[in-house]
Amino acid sequence: MGKGVAVIGGGIAGVQAALDLAEQGIHVYIIEKSPSLGGRMAQLDKTFPTNDCSMCILSPKLVEAGRHPNIELLTLSEIEELQGEEGEFKVKVLKSARYVDEESCTGCGICAATCPVKYEYQIPEKESVREKIEENELTKIDTILKKYEDEVGVLISILQDINEEFNYLPENALRYVSEKLGIPLSQIYHVATFYTAFSLTPRGEHIVKVCQGTACHVRGTRAVLDEITRILDVKPGETTEDLQYTLETVNCLGACALGPVMVLDKEYHGNMSPSKVKKILKSELEEGGL
Amino acid sequence: MKKISSLEELEKLRERISSSKGGKKTKVLISTKATCCQLQKSEQVTSALFDEIEKNGQKDKVEILTTGCLGFCELEPIIVIKPKGILYKNIKVDDVSDIVAKTILKGEIIEKLLYVNPLDEQRIELEDDIPFYSKQNRILLGNNSNIDPDKIEDYIASGGYSALSKVLSGMKPDEIIEEIKKSGLRGRGGAGFPTGRKWESCRNTEAEDDIKYVICNADEGDPGAYMDRNLLESNPHSVLEGMIIGAYSIGSHNGYIYVRNEYELAVSTLKNAIKQAREYGFLGKDILGSGFDFTIKLSRGGGAFVCGESTALMASIEGKPGEPRAKHIHTTTKGLWDRPTNLNNVETWANVPLIINSGADWYSKIGMDKSKGTKIFSLVGKIHNTGLVEVPMGTTLRDIIFKIGGGIPGERKFKAVQTGGPSGGCIPEHLLDLPVDYEKLTEAGSMMGSGGMIVMDDRTCMVDVARYFTNFLKDESCGKCVPCRNGLIQLHHMLTDICEGRGSEKDLDFFEELGFWITNGSLCQLGTTAVNPVQTTLRYFKDEYLTHIVDKKCPAGVCKALITFTIDSEKCTGCEVCKKNCPQDAISGEKKEVHDIDQDKCIKCGICEDSCKFDAVEVN
Repeated sequence: MGKGVAVIGGGIAGVQAALDLAEQGIHVYIIEKSPSLGGRMAQLDKTFPTNDCSMCILSPKLVEAGRHPNIELLTLSEIEELQGEEGEFKVKVLKSARYVDEESCTGCGICAATCPVKYEYQIPEKESVREKIEENELTKIDTILKKYEDEVGVLISILQDINEEFNYLPENALRYVSEKLGIPLSQIYHVATFYTAFSLTPRGEHIVKVCQGTACHVRGTRAVLDEITRILDVKPGETTEDLQYTLETVNCLGACALGPVMVLDKEYHGNMSPSKVKKILKSELEEGGL
Repeated sequence: MKKISSLEELEKLRERISSSKGGKKTKVLISTKATCCQLQKSEQVTSALFDEIEKNGQKDKVEILTTGCLGFCELEPIIVIKPKGILYKNIKVDDVSDIVAKTILKGEIIEKLLYVNPLDEQRIELEDDIPFYSKQNRILLGNNSNIDPDKIEDYIASGGYSALSKVLSGMKPDEIIEEIKKSGLRGRGGAGFPTGRKWESCRNTEAEDDIKYVICNADEGDPGAYMDRNLLESNPHSVLEGMIIGAYSIGSHNGYIYVRNEYELAVSTLKNAIKQAREYGFLGKDILGSGFDFTIKLSRGGGAFVCGESTALMASIEGKPGEPRAKHIHTTTKGLWDRPTNLNNVETWANVPLIINSGADWYSKIGMDKSKGTKIFSLVGKIHNTGLVEVPMGTTLRDIIFKIGGGIPGERKFKAVQTGGPSGGCIPEHLLDLPVDYEKLTEAGSMMGSGGMIVMDDRTCMVDVARYFTNFLKDESCGKCVPCRNGLIQLHHMLTDICEGRGSEKDLDFFEELGFWITNGSLCQLGTTAVNPVQTTLRYFKDEYLTHIVDKKCPAGVCKALITFTIDSEKCTGCEVCKKNCPQDAISGEKKEVHDIDQDKCIKCGICEDSCKFDAVEVN
């Protein structure tokens, strides 16, 4: 192989990089493991955030990369060895056999159409998550699912109930809900991570909530939060290592007359100040035997 | 309870409930069924009151009404003794036996439980004489004191569901919409779109399979605003009645209430109210024998501020992440599940029965040219009389803050009032005579919003407030539009730099440019109004920004990196309280000698200032 630039991976980033380099007169090798260029983007329907059609952006670039005189495609190829340093790399590439003479092939597709052997793509049998969940927990989830059986648009309500029951959203519970409702797991995660009400990690036995409403803010909730952070040694959203306390912030509890407000489990404490935090939490921590 | 199947039956029931209530001379109201009173242990006080009345054998003579919020949250739990209307504040369990023995039995006044007017230190005996109440026009909130929110009978007895009955007994849907249009009612969620016009366009849109939705937006996300929570907790049926009337005129049979899950009490009160309304036949099939069907479902929010936006809210009801969409097609054409949908705020719905009952002419006489009726504000922050305030549109800020609110506590100076939540702005002292209506607030760079009114004094740092709102919005941005998602992060970054003494004057110019892109490059109101807090504080309090940037000082004593705590040797008595409380052991000094703070050890937590009884700790 001659001198030039090797671009590893023929996805959209690789293709664009190769095109930019090739335009500058540099000889480029695109080394791609799979039989064709395009990568992940070729599998997408739309792209974020404009919702433009993905292939409409990608395919002209693929065609261009395929016919550019300065670009050499090495598909079905993997890097075996990489040596050297900047400006002087030596790359050893293993090219798998394609059993087609690439020089002569016009890409007409007749061979594929006439081939008598059909390869059926095997979808691996998906293992149900059911076995991985304990019996009593399964009953709990089933009861929740049953509650919303004939309704539509209930995903959020179901997740709220599970979150309340388990104090967070266990991964297996989400997988189970996905199986039962036929909603892709990715969509469930989209919802679960979007709303602040859900937690994907186990929360502590006690929840300390600090209101961050404007009224509480001007009355000094920051100092209150700082003091709690200092005493419990966790940041907002985190749980102490012994799983005793989770510190959470909440946008507004609507108890503005009493701000700053702190809620320890379900008990509200109004007109908080750093020294009051110390008193309440210290006695709490001592009682808890920590 | 038997279902009511005709309008006559409703009137008979109303008479029956009213007559069964008569006879008792004394009526005691105790605010106990709202979150803010429950925080102040109102439930214990209430059960003590019941016990005490029973013990004194007054059960047949005294009626106890457990109401929702009476508005004056600072004084909760409140007891009002009628017929005279004596108001006692901040009642503790121990006070109850005295109240029964002295006031209820003998008519004596207990001085120490009376409200003290902060302006002249005078004790005021009667509810009606307290300026906080007497200067308001409580057409929506006033009914709270006649109702136990858990009892639909109380609502019926106080004239509830008579608007529905009037509508069903002969008003045509178009007539109702005309009446609402004539009243001049505008959306109370903040944007102020004329309610009647919204209903009309939803009514006129043809739905393929004849399904239309009405939604009540109870996702009260603005921090510092809680009037919707209050209405739902204290008078839920007024909202339901408004929705039924709205649905009838629009031609919808399905309603949703989207309520914040953080409002636990509001959720349970609403559930109960919907159940009762169904039992009585105000919801369900063939309402009051009119042939009209309507049901309401409750949908609990997941704690995302952006879900207060109509399209995001509808996505959330559908069980999706609450991301807004572009509104080239209005939700009245394609809303929830792509059907015509009419969404209004809690307070808007609660206004509807009033307008139907008393007429558009009466309603449109209250308020200003373009903004009619009253508006509830939650008056909070650095103010004497914290609570919910209902005033006619066009009341000046000065009247609200000083006449009703009683001014700023602790002899501090008024600095600004923040309206409109995170999308609003801070209004300075020289604009205090601004009449509060939709247009005037927008001109001043702020907005009406849902009605939060946060008062700030000279110990509030305006740069810090701007940073606070930007931080809030950056966390709540759903992330769909890049200018909002990334722009706000940058804006917050720069504001933090200023608060921590790393800002430069160039930042201020860049705010403008960044603000332009965030405003113009975002789909929903969250993004388009996100820079309001920064822009108004910069417009009215530029000096304060410059003091942070040039002098590296925070005049309000808030920004930690720019302040130091010191002890005033004149005032310090050497009591050692601060020394004992300091978590860093940064304070030295023997007993009865002036203490000193080691600045290297100090983490500026403020505990010393907070614990000093002699105001000896100073913030510089």
